[in-house]
Amino acid sequence: MAHHDDDLLPTPGQRVGTFLKRKDVSQTFVLGAFFTAVFVVLGLWVYPHWMPNVMSKEMQGNEDIMIWFTVISAPIAGVVLAIAMESFINMHRGDTPPPEDGPGIKTHGPVVIIWSAVTTLFCILAIVWGITEMNTWSADALAGSNKALVVEVTGSQWNWSFNYPAQGISSHELNLPINQPVEFRVVSADVNHSFWPVQLGVKVDANRLATTVARTTPDKLGVFDVKCAELCGINHAYMETVGHVESVADFNSWVSQAKATGGTQQ
Amino acid sequence: MASTTPAKSKTVVGAVVAVVLGVAVVVGVGTQLHAHSYLNPPTGTATINGTITAPDGKTYPHAFISNGVFAAAADSKAHGNCANCDGGHPSWPSYGPYTKLVLPAHAYVTMTLHVYDGGEKLNSPYYANVVGTVGGKINVDGKDLTSLAEDGVQHTFTIHGLPTETQDPLFINVPLPKTAEGEQDEPGSPLPKGHTVTFSFITGGKGEYVWNCEYPCGDATYQGFGAVMGATGFMSGKVSVL
Repeated sequence: MAHHDDDLLPTPGQRVGTFLKRKDVSQTFVLGAFFTAVFVVLGLWVYPHWMPNVMSKEMQGNEDIMIWFTVISAPIAGVVLAIAMESFINMHRGDTPPPEDGPGIKTHGPVVIIWSAVTTLFCILAIVWGITEMNTWSADALAGSNKALVVEVTGSQWNWSFNYPAQGISSHELNLPINQPVEFRVVSADVNHSFWPVQLGVKVDANRLATTVARTTPDKLGVFDVKCAELCGINHAYMETVGHVESVADFNSWVSQAKATGGTQQ
Repeated sequence: MASTTPAKSKTVVGAVVAVVLGVAVVVGVGTQLHAHSYLNPPTGTATINGTITAPDGKTYPHAFISNGVFAAAADSKAHGNCANCDGGHPSWPSYGPYTKLVLPAHAYVTMTLHVYDGGEKLNSPYYANVVGTVGGKINVDGKDLTSLAEDGVQHTFTIHGLPTETQDPLFINVPLPKTAEGEQDEPGSPLPKGHTVTFSFITGGKGEYVWNCEYPCGDATYQGFGAVMGATGFMSGKVSVL
């Protein structure tokens, strides 16, 4: 009885089954599961403690994305690390020469397809999530922009200054009222800087001769850090100041005090 | 099997030793670079003389310190006390004789600056304002001012805020008026007629800060922040509050 050679080839399912029964593969999967669990724990429980306080919806969104992207990428990082670890554990060592005719390494089609498909899906999910989140913030910020407090932010080597045009005051510290939309209009007086009020979840370039706009709504009272996130010269590391999210009454009091002392406030 | 276990152990030990050595080399190089980055800057220490009651009603130790700003680094004496001691840059302006200041903590510090340089326009008009001094003012040749014209500034004395979890903020900006052209400080002096600028501020707790000039007094690179503005020990330095 005649038959084709293809009839003797294992099916893709059989090939995957055989692949998974290999000792090195099963060890890799066990290691991969362990490393994945470690990364998931890092993402869900450790990262939130490491990251700055959340003082706006934008910062909460940033942290959520960081956490979930870590969780999503944990299996990928875990398996890659497991393969590296498995290779390290089973590498040839000692004084004896390596086997001359070891098994050749060849492409395993189903595994390549599964791996490519899963990682592609993870990447697409991350991109779609990020864009959706950013668009949501932009839409919310634009909706509140007509009542936004405008703050003109100027970066100069190596300090920040803030001008409140509607209030007629300027300051070295960034004071903001709680639950009030804020529009930052950011420029540089010299080289490129990056305006980064950390706990507000905003980071935007400060360029000379061009104004960039960023919006947020602080929703938690407290102190936040303002840093430069663009290497800008010898004292870049010292280009920091503080900001305060205050009650509306405290903010108005601060404005009145600044006006009473000539409009320039520390 | 018995022969592979020691080999595995040797490999692991070798990997750990390599990592430890690598970290040690990086830490060592970094520590040495940091230690040699700013050696022995000329240091001025404020002197306490009595106490003073500030506008906030509190009484503080009253500390005094003087310094200067010069158009030519050799005149500043910050780079050695001789005619040719200019830090290798005779055309650069410089603070002097001190570029590192040591101030007492929780004190009312009165600083006097003798300033002898010309100027043009600030990059950022904010630094034409007096910020962070007692009363928000400075005294220039006997006259109290709260700001200067942004094209009338020769340099600024600006201490960065640098608030951290371990030290108090300390932000001060003092614009220094430029000198008039053609007038000499005194007959025979190489210096132009300068200004005496006096101001006071109150320090918080202990901390390490930096100061720099916000006037673009470097070369044309980076909007005037090249050359002297890209170096330490001329128009920038450190402040230790002890």
